[in-house]
Amino acid sequence: MRRLRWLLAILLAFSLIAAACGDDSDSSTDTAADDTAADDTAADDTAADDTAAADDAMADDAMAEMITGPGVDAENHVIRIGLNADLSGTFAALTTVIVEGQLAFWERVNAEGGIDGWTIEPVVLDNAYDVPTHLENYDKFSGDGDQSVVLLSNSTGSPHTAAIAEALVEDDMMAIPLSWYSGWADPSIGQNVFEVQANYCVEAMNGVTYMSEQHGNKIAIVGFPGDYGEDGALGAKLAAEALGLEIVYDGQAQVIPGADQTPVTTAIAESGADFVWLTTGPTQTAEIVGGAVGAGYTGQWSGNSPSWNPALLGTPLAEVFDASYTHSTYSVLWGIGDSPGMNDLISTMQEYRPDAKADDVYIISWIEGLIAQQTLAQAISNGDISRAGVLAAANEITVDLMGLAPDQNWGGDPNDSVVRGTFLYDVDASLFTPDGLVTDADANRGYTLLEGDYVSPTAEAWQYEPCFKAS
Amino acid sequence: MYKRPNLYTSYEAETQILPTWTQKVLMALFVLSLFLLPFQIPVFNDDIPGLSWLPIIGDGMPLFRFLGDGDWIRSTTTVLMLVVAALGLNLLSGVAGQVSLGHAFFMGVGAVTATYLGAESGSQTWGHSLPIWIWLPGAGIAAALVGMLVSPVAVRLRGLYLAIVTLGLVFVGVHMGNTTWGRKMAGPPALGRKAPKLDIRLWKEETPLIDISHDGHWLWFDVTDNQKRYFMYLIIAIGFTLLAKNIVRSRTGRALQAIRDRDIAAEVMGIAEFRYKVVAFAISSFFAGIAGALFVGLSGQVLATDFGLFLSVEFIAILLIGGAGTTSGALIGTFFVVMIPHFVEEFTVWLGKQESGLTGTFSDAILTSGGDQGIINTSTVTPGWTLSVFDWNIVLFGVLIIAFLIFEPLGLYGVWVRTRNYWKRWPFSY
Repeated sequence: MRRLRWLLAILLAFSLIAAACGDDSDSSTDTAADDTAADDTAADDTAADDTAAADDAMADDAMAEMITGPGVDAENHVIRIGLNADLSGTFAALTTVIVEGQLAFWERVNAEGGIDGWTIEPVVLDNAYDVPTHLENYDKFSGDGDQSVVLLSNSTGSPHTAAIAEALVEDDMMAIPLSWYSGWADPSIGQNVFEVQANYCVEAMNGVTYMSEQHGNKIAIVGFPGDYGEDGALGAKLAAEALGLEIVYDGQAQVIPGADQTPVTTAIAESGADFVWLTTGPTQTAEIVGGAVGAGYTGQWSGNSPSWNPALLGTPLAEVFDASYTHSTYSVLWGIGDSPGMNDLISTMQEYRPDAKADDVYIISWIEGLIAQQTLAQAISNGDISRAGVLAAANEITVDLMGLAPDQNWGGDPNDSVVRGTFLYDVDASLFTPDGLVTDADANRGYTLLEGDYVSPTAEAWQYEPCFKAS
Repeated sequence: MYKRPNLYTSYEAETQILPTWTQKVLMALFVLSLFLLPFQIPVFNDDIPGLSWLPIIGDGMPLFRFLGDGDWIRSTTTVLMLVVAALGLNLLSGVAGQVSLGHAFFMGVGAVTATYLGAESGSQTWGHSLPIWIWLPGAGIAAALVGMLVSPVAVRLRGLYLAIVTLGLVFVGVHMGNTTWGRKMAGPPALGRKAPKLDIRLWKEETPLIDISHDGHWLWFDVTDNQKRYFMYLIIAIGFTLLAKNIVRSRTGRALQAIRDRDIAAEVMGIAEFRYKVVAFAISSFFAGIAGALFVGLSGQVLATDFGLFLSVEFIAILLIGGAGTTSGALIGTFFVVMIPHFVEEFTVWLGKQESGLTGTFSDAILTSGGDQGIINTSTVTPGWTLSVFDWNIVLFGVLIIAFLIFEPLGLYGVWVRTRNYWKRWPFSY
């Protein structure tokens, strides 16, 4: 009986606390208002500091009127940007190179005087390809400490980026995802997620169209389960339907990483397909191509960009890949073409990372960097480099990717802004220089350009909606 | 006779959780400090003259903020969430002696149930948008039911064989997340779906009774959503700690310990082995299910692959490092396993900033950005030797598990008991 009374007392105490919190929504709006007021004063203060500084340094009216916020060190003219990247998880081998490229990009930008006198300081945190860690890092980026930033120029991973998507909207922060999921352009999925280049779905439409024109109309579709694998498979199916292709094997979501791929490879070999569209990873590509060719398949191969890695040319399957693999991707690749972006990339890497190996993923670093740089430049000229100001600037501009990939904008209807052009390459083992450094003039990752920027009729006519629906 | 240590005159007195007043007061202070942890309560807020060379203290010393500020609060909340699961596994493996590597699977069952009950439905996903007082207990109950289904295996198998069977559950679970039904409940593979919000509602009304997911004002304090969630998890964790402690000293707890020590002997004494093994699995899975629901509440994104082998192994590390079979061990172990990697990372970052003096020399000796003799690589490009601090953390856990198994099977709890006993008897060593 006495215990029961204790329990009741505790329950009562909690209900009192609950009652005290009852008018939460009202008071939270109050505090929010107070906060903004406080922020305003803070902004005024920094502005005042600036004016003081401007007396003995250069007198710059624009600086004095600049609206700033967390992520900006107005006193030293530093803007911080964040990279929430996978440095130790599943995709570390890829992401670490992308991050290194972007660091070189900003070193160059800063050495040339920054953006309008503002130095850009990249803050890199490791998400270990783990959602809770990604969120922990995001708390640091979105706070107001010395790791706070105005934008995320790299947010590695689909579930990770999806996990911060709502918070991005609350914090008025933009993020560039390292993920080509077709859902990001949909405001209800990723309003502040600024997808780059074409998505997996469009890529598959273009790739399948090109392959069918070259090699025949019987297609086998094979891929991972999930946003990546099924986005690609669904794009391939859209194209197959539009072109009247015969899907002789539908292996959507049938490739489980780490599992035995024999059922898939047998099905491919027995299907009599003219070509196979893969949406897998390089390891699975090797397993599937090896298995299917072993079982007697003699057709062609292509697939979404992440299915391929030039390292596959170092395997015993090099001859098969050389003869029958077409690589699809979203941009020009290392050393190919004579675009200003490519020249800029190569000369910067040669100057700032002369010991680095030539790598196609540096193009991703550059594209992320260019988007962030041009967004910040617009925000500075707008006089507002707070997070909200940067976000607004990103929605205003069309980013010039200097010939590395189709130019891109984000404001307005996603159907108008979604990128539909991709690039197709023939894999050529004789061109591949596995140890080529950025300083080697003939460094090539084993490609010759077939088509690009290539927009298939299916992709052209496609009314935007996420191909793979998540919710 | 009163106040003489280790002399108990009644069974009740001997089974008290906190037998002495000193312990009661210290525990009360400890719990109070846990509640104050997220707030900035200053001791010294400014630079301390003369001590500025000391890290942390030199920059002004907050009393409670150390683990409670923005950078740390998510980790401390993670500790509170994993404590619930670790307590459950401790009851099963530590108290009842049934080795289980499948704890992550039961957490996954809880997480998916919570999402199914609490999240909104979409064109590709099922959901019922029910309030937290349904989905949180529901997650525990669903996991407990699945645990009861699995438990008959434990009656037929012991030790290593049981471990292998429960290990299989983890793979079954990850695979089930990829089936049509699994996708409807856990969201698409590799992308996942939104977890239910932690807001406390009576039913499906617009304005929640207690708003957890936005910044707000509680009593006299401005609290952020992270702080609110910390308090919520803290109250749940304290509740489950008391529950676990009380189960151990109840009839059930004694029966479980008898089964652990020798199941045949226990049966001869009249303990229904089958029934108590079912009970052990049910209780432990209930704890895991609740923790799974809290897990997705914390991460906001449900992913079936989160509840894989690595999480199960993390629990083994928690039990072995903390000390299997003791409630305190589960608490200390969780804190240690979750926080140590963060401390090591922070320490490395701090060390990287040291350029001169003793710390600078030390920094030069063990850090490298490629090329020189250090063993911890601080550059961003790290695959392969030398290892980055993140890889070293994983190595550290392997080494710690082995070291504790060999040198201190009672874990950190055992270290604490020995230290305490040493000072109790000081200056006499025996």
